[in-house]
Amino acid sequence: MIQFLEPIINGILLGGLYAVVGIGLSVIFGIMRQVNLAHGELMILASYFSLLTLQLLGLHPLLTFLLVLPAMFIFGYLIQTFLFNRVMGKGMEPFLMISFGLSIILQNALLLIFTPDARSLKSSLVIQSLNVYGLFHVPLIYIVNCAVSILVIGLLHQFMKRTYLGWAISASAEDLSAAKLMGINPKRVYALAMGIAAVTAAISGVLVGMTFTFYPHSGTQYLIIAFGVVIIGGLGSLPGTFVGGLILGISQLVGGRIIGPGFQLLSGYIILLVVLTIRPQGILGRG
Amino acid sequence: MSAKRIRFIVIILALAVLLTTPLWASRYVVNVWSLICIYAALASMWNLLAGYSGMISLGQQMFIGLGGYTLAVLSVYYGLPISLSVLLGGMISVILAVLISLPIFRMKGVYFAIGTWIIAEALGICFSNWGYVRYGMGMFIQPAYKLSMSSIYYAAVIICIGSIALVYLLLRSNLGLALMAIRDDDVASEAVGVNIFRCKFTCFLISAFVTGIAAGILYLNAIFIQPFEAFGIGWTVKLLFIVIIGGIGTVEGPIAGAIIFVFLQQYLSEYVGFNLIIFGTIAIMVIFFAPKGIVGTFQNKFGVELFPVRRQ
Repeated sequence: MIQFLEPIINGILLGGLYAVVGIGLSVIFGIMRQVNLAHGELMILASYFSLLTLQLLGLHPLLTFLLVLPAMFIFGYLIQTFLFNRVMGKGMEPFLMISFGLSIILQNALLLIFTPDARSLKSSLVIQSLNVYGLFHVPLIYIVNCAVSILVIGLLHQFMKRTYLGWAISASAEDLSAAKLMGINPKRVYALAMGIAAVTAAISGVLVGMTFTFYPHSGTQYLIIAFGVVIIGGLGSLPGTFVGGLILGISQLVGGRIIGPGFQLLSGYIILLVVLTIRPQGILGRG
Repeated sequence: MSAKRIRFIVIILALAVLLTTPLWASRYVVNVWSLICIYAALASMWNLLAGYSGMISLGQQMFIGLGGYTLAVLSVYYGLPISLSVLLGGMISVILAVLISLPIFRMKGVYFAIGTWIIAEALGICFSNWGYVRYGMGMFIQPAYKLSMSSIYYAAVIICIGSIALVYLLLRSNLGLALMAIRDDDVASEAVGVNIFRCKFTCFLISAFVTGIAAGILYLNAIFIQPFEAFGIGWTVKLLFIVIIGGIGTVEGPIAGAIIFVFLQQYLSEYVGFNLIIFGTIAIMVIFFAPKGIVGTFQNKFGVELFPVRRQ
């Protein structure tokens, strides 16, 4: 049993990171009923942006949030205003297609600018680890990731519950025509929601960049993780996203320990398919 | 009746050009045309699911990879004839489709899309960890070297014409009527006795079978197969591009889309790095300015259809 303690603890912490990876996708689905295939690229764009500010200004990766987050909010606001808002209410395919177009444009633009080399956001956090009673080690960066994740999800939850803008967003998600009658401009609400989703993508992008190496093509890999998280938890549910992250993180690391490291991703996918088969709407989804 | 006659002449001319190409064209042209044919076949199978049956699958690459690997394993390890290996690739794809149908048909909409994608990813991981198929290093399909260019070309033409004829006939059959009824109003169609599950299941199996065979022909042309490429999401992205550009929910759309896609790919290959950026931009522009695709927009404007599926 003791040999499973380490993958379970690390899986929980990794799951926290996965939850932030998925939360932007969940927000967009909850509000617009659309799937943003460019979510992974938004993350990696933020990772590269953080790398740039880090190299130019010599900041600590966590401090680059101050510049990266506002920039990504504006980016999200703009892509929603000029691209996605034009196809809202026309079904699933146009939105899928535009987000896919955006994702290959971003991916290849990053490839042109930054070359395909592996990059990482270096800080002293990566090499430090916490020794738990001499039994096993927990990387410090995993703890930072999980703490930031809990903070982000908590803040987002409070934002949706307490602010006027949060109410407007939930109202448009609940009943669009009634929200319009109450004087809410859905296009503006959608643009702000995409801005918020881009900010959460940016947070996860910087954390991922600090924890692992990344390439211009890494977006796809994190898009699948984001899908896994929101599907297990239920699309559009904030607490579900957190639960989904934990389940995916634990099943990957525990599965990797049992079958072998090559099958880490596979065991995550199997859990995902099992959950989808038993509860097609996710664990905390409303169907 | 003149529209019917023009349609007939166009189809006969197109067939005559297609069937005689290896006699007068260069190797390069023959190769480009076989790519167009294979992509048109793959895209019309995705179109059958997404455009007519309301199943947006992001996992067509599971059948592409399986078809390719069946060809590789059977022809390289067991020395089976190539045509038989390609056909068995289709059969094995159908078996996979049957096996996954139980969980996959419980999922709807986005969940179906993501469920199919995850299955394809899982298969990719299994193949890259499987020593029998040489892990992630991939396999060379040596027996394909012995084939002549024109025999691969004719195989591609057959699968292309076959898949388009199959889609056309399917849509003209009772199944096609049922599919359109489901697309327009699934509750009402079920109330008048349409078995939704059976219709969708039939389409899913047909799509798996033809995709598996077309993938075999694709890998006869490519000669090398590697798990992360064969089971990669890139395939479905290409098919999505082809079908949306051409016109989703039309029989001609995948053909037009495949022609545009392959030509763009050939011309843009000189501009390494920029070519995919241009692809992405074109995809977005088409959605904005011709949301029904090129064929759909053309049909709306002029009312001409090459393969009309409605009964007159």
